[in-house]
Amino acid sequence: MSADPRLRARQQQAAATTVATPPPPPPPPIDSQPMGLDGANDAHAEQNTVPDDSFKLKFCTVCASNQNRSMEAHLQLASAHLPTISFGTGSLVRLPGPTIQQPNVYHFNSTTYRTIHDELAGQNAALYTHNGLLNMLGRNLNIKSYPERFQDWVPGKPRLEHAEDQGSQGTESGVVDVVITCEERCFDAVLEDLHNKGGKLNRPVHVFNVDIRDNHEEALVGGKAILDLALSLNEAAGKEREVHGEGAWQSGGGAARSGFDERVPDILATWQERWPNMPALWSLAWF
Amino acid sequence: MSSQTIQQMESARSLALGDGRYYPTIIPGVLPIIGYSADQSIEIQRWGADFLAEAFASPTWPLEAKQSSAPSVLATLKAYLENVEDKSVVKSAVQVAASVYPLVYRHTVSNTNDGQHWQLMAAIKSNILRRMDEAAPGVRICCIKFLQQVVLVQTPAVVDPRRPDHNDVSLTLVPRDHPLMPYASLEAEGHGLLDRLLDIIHGDHSDGLLVTGTLNSLGMLIHRRPNAANKILGSVFNFNPLKLASSPMTPKNQVIIKSIERTTRALLVNIMKRNPENPVNARIQQYLERMHRTRVEVFDQSNRKRPAPTEPTDGLDQAKRQRLAAEPPSRTPSVQPLPPGDVSWKQLYTLNSEGTTANFDVQAFKDPEQLLRIVVPVLQSVNAAKLEQAINAVRLRYQMLRQAAASQPRQPTAPAAEDEEEYEPDFEPEDAEQLINKLDGLSSNNFPPQAGPSTALAPYKLPEAPPLSEQDVQKYGDMIVHRAFGMLSSVDENQKSKVTKGGFNRLAASDYNRDAWVTILSRLATRASAGLDDPEEGIKDEFAVKGAKGSLKVSDAVRDGIYQYIMYDWKKRIDVAISWLNEEWYNDMILAQTAKNSAQNGAVNGHASSDLTKGNYHRCALRLIDGILPYIEHTDKILLRFLSEIPSIDYEILVRLKKMAEDPERIDLACNALHYLYMFRPPVRTIVVDILAEMWTENDRAKPSARKLLVRWRPEVLGEEQSNTPTMKTEGDGRLTKESANGALEVKAAS
Repeated sequence: MSADPRLRARQQQAAATTVATPPPPPPPPIDSQPMGLDGANDAHAEQNTVPDDSFKLKFCTVCASNQNRSMEAHLQLASAHLPTISFGTGSLVRLPGPTIQQPNVYHFNSTTYRTIHDELAGQNAALYTHNGLLNMLGRNLNIKSYPERFQDWVPGKPRLEHAEDQGSQGTESGVVDVVITCEERCFDAVLEDLHNKGGKLNRPVHVFNVDIRDNHEEALVGGKAILDLALSLNEAAGKEREVHGEGAWQSGGGAARSGFDERVPDILATWQERWPNMPALWSLAWF
Repeated sequence: MSSQTIQQMESARSLALGDGRYYPTIIPGVLPIIGYSADQSIEIQRWGADFLAEAFASPTWPLEAKQSSAPSVLATLKAYLENVEDKSVVKSAVQVAASVYPLVYRHTVSNTNDGQHWQLMAAIKSNILRRMDEAAPGVRICCIKFLQQVVLVQTPAVVDPRRPDHNDVSLTLVPRDHPLMPYASLEAEGHGLLDRLLDIIHGDHSDGLLVTGTLNSLGMLIHRRPNAANKILGSVFNFNPLKLASSPMTPKNQVIIKSIERTTRALLVNIMKRNPENPVNARIQQYLERMHRTRVEVFDQSNRKRPAPTEPTDGLDQAKRQRLAAEPPSRTPSVQPLPPGDVSWKQLYTLNSEGTTANFDVQAFKDPEQLLRIVVPVLQSVNAAKLEQAINAVRLRYQMLRQAAASQPRQPTAPAAEDEEEYEPDFEPEDAEQLINKLDGLSSNNFPPQAGPSTALAPYKLPEAPPLSEQDVQKYGDMIVHRAFGMLSSVDENQKSKVTKGGFNRLAASDYNRDAWVTILSRLATRASAGLDDPEEGIKDEFAVKGAKGSLKVSDAVRDGIYQYIMYDWKKRIDVAISWLNEEWYNDMILAQTAKNSAQNGAVNGHASSDLTKGNYHRCALRLIDGILPYIEHTDKILLRFLSEIPSIDYEILVRLKKMAEDPERIDLACNALHYLYMFRPPVRTIVVDILAEMWTENDRAKPSARKLLVRWRPEVLGEEQSNTPTMKTEGDGRLTKESANGALEVKAAS
């Protein structure tokens, strides 16, 4: 992604007030947030995490193959102790192959990351190490066991069997409050699939799109942007709850976002100003 | 204490999450704990409301079990809604209500005496409906979903009898005589609430929450309630997703506009995908295209994700954000000078010819409403200073043109009126160019108009044409005839054989088909000059045939045309020949009657009068036969038809057959023709037999064929081979013999 040169001045102004900037392209870090985007790729600083005793929204990240962008975001959200699940909207899991005509294609919901990892490592370890696939798969298999397809997901169906997945705590009931897609195509697919599912749960869900290009570097930056958005949303939801007298709320169960829904457009607009290179969309949909 | 209770209930919850079948036993156990009481802690109420929402939304236990559990939670729900202020509790309670409403509804349908629970539900419903308008947006979205559920169950479903969906709760389930649920009022309420739902998308867009929430809830209504689908779609078609575009373009508004547009698109695309054959899809497509165009309009360049960074960076980013704070220094737009000479309206109003708007076609907007929605925001955003400058620039140009035109004889006056009506959309300089396409239609030199003549001229007269010479007249006449037949043959090709013949009912020449023209032309040939040239008619005609080219008579020119026309494709046009000859014969008869004052043959009954032989018929018939005979092959049975249908036959005509029979191949054809005529045209039997006898005597090769016939008709000829049969009888004699011969022969034929 190329940075808009016309915005450079603004970015530099913003950057001047902060300590450090993340690797290129540098989105302006936010000083109002309780976290610092310090450019350390894999180390998630302590202040990014949400304490377990506070209120938590439940998140779902979605990309095409549930491999790169949604998994990077999944990792970052889960590392911040936010309840997270992730999906892909494609018909199949598609990974680059030796040539552009020979992609590696796998079925959703049945092929584990480990299987894919081992198969590719056997096929051409050098190639797939070089293009980062093995690294990515190695990361993924530590997050959860297999890529899941959004369209096959039954919202409301308990996910007790996913208890080992990172970020699974709080998602046992199989519903989320926020869906974040990484591409407009996926956003459309999610809205359409929710129409098809018919809103039987009568439960509102905020669907966001954050446009991220499908490569490792962008996924990393995009993951930070998504984490930023998620923390902003979570903070707003938590705050609204405290205003109404939240005491010793222990569990993250149930839907509790009072007063926060109407602030979502504002939060997103503020976020968009911080991350102008990732055009955002949003819609209130129904499970 | 409350945290401990919650811990306990949480373990019950995980039990239910593990297996949905535990819900029916857990819910009654939990209800007394979570139920509202004044000293109940808010955490437990929140937990309770959330738990109920989760339970009744869960797909892990069947609807029947939910339906029997549903009535038990109504009292708790009602207490929450009426007493608790906490938004979280209320929201979850409304969600529970939305899930439970269809269940209680169906429960009441089958339990006609359970008025108590239905009343509880009604109280909850009216509580929620009251919140619809003034509650916090977060609660209102849940109310919207509740509303949608009510509309869903109170609208009749279209039930497919082959595949009834037992889980679909709809108005169709309600019997007309239900004591608790009056069908009509349920239906009316459903209608009313649907209207209320649809009003939301046409209302305030400023938070986007309600609008997208409503749009996303409409999809399933359209899908599951076809009865309401048209109404909903109609409302969506009137929905303007870019309504906010007229308000200041803050980042929030931008996000909301894009989100609403995208949500609308997702809804409509989903409808199209679900039923690709839906007739309404074309309209949806149209709507989507219109919306896309409008969006591009509204966002202009700012909507592009990564605009090409070619524009000069001036730090003000006017392409990225609409001008809100700082106005760019208003540079005077460079007004290009008008080209010399005549100037079109387009050129007059085009201040910026490189602008893309110059090529913008207003007519692309078929819907004036849509145009209005764009124009009004555009008008509101017009920069007054720029407008002023543009108007002055155009005014200046116009002034200069006027002065230039003043030096010419006349001022343009006509454009003034046009100016009034066409100038309407030109409030911004760029908008002026929207006119261009329309104005382009006008010729570019209508401004200023050509200077007209200053004085009236005498009426103009064409110079007299030189008088036509006789040859010219004849030549042109021939050309006319030639054309008429040219036309005839083209008609020919188009409609051959598909016309059903009217027979006797037909009115001659009543339409434009071929037969009509044949009739017209043959009558033109025969009757036009009939009676004008009687005195020396007979003699002259005999020679005129050969010299038709030189003849001045139109009739003969037409006859020539008909002849050529027939000969061109005589096999197919034999009917033309027959009808022409009939006309000729008829005309000859008429002439003969008018001229029969002499009446030397009052006994003439219709054919073969001596006058007639001199008439046009005889001449034309002979000419035609002579023309055709060389081309006739031994298989051409069409000759038989021709000979049988022409109105009159005499020796001179038939003797041509004898000539034809000299060709050994065509002997049989000649004999067949004679045989046919003998059988079906009794008046000419004598002639036929005479001809045969001649053939027998003169043509050795024809003897076998002729003999067969003569054996039956005139055996005496065969006996006395040398004897001369009477050859050139007078007509009168011929008739006499014929009569007698007829009598004799008919007996034979019958025997």
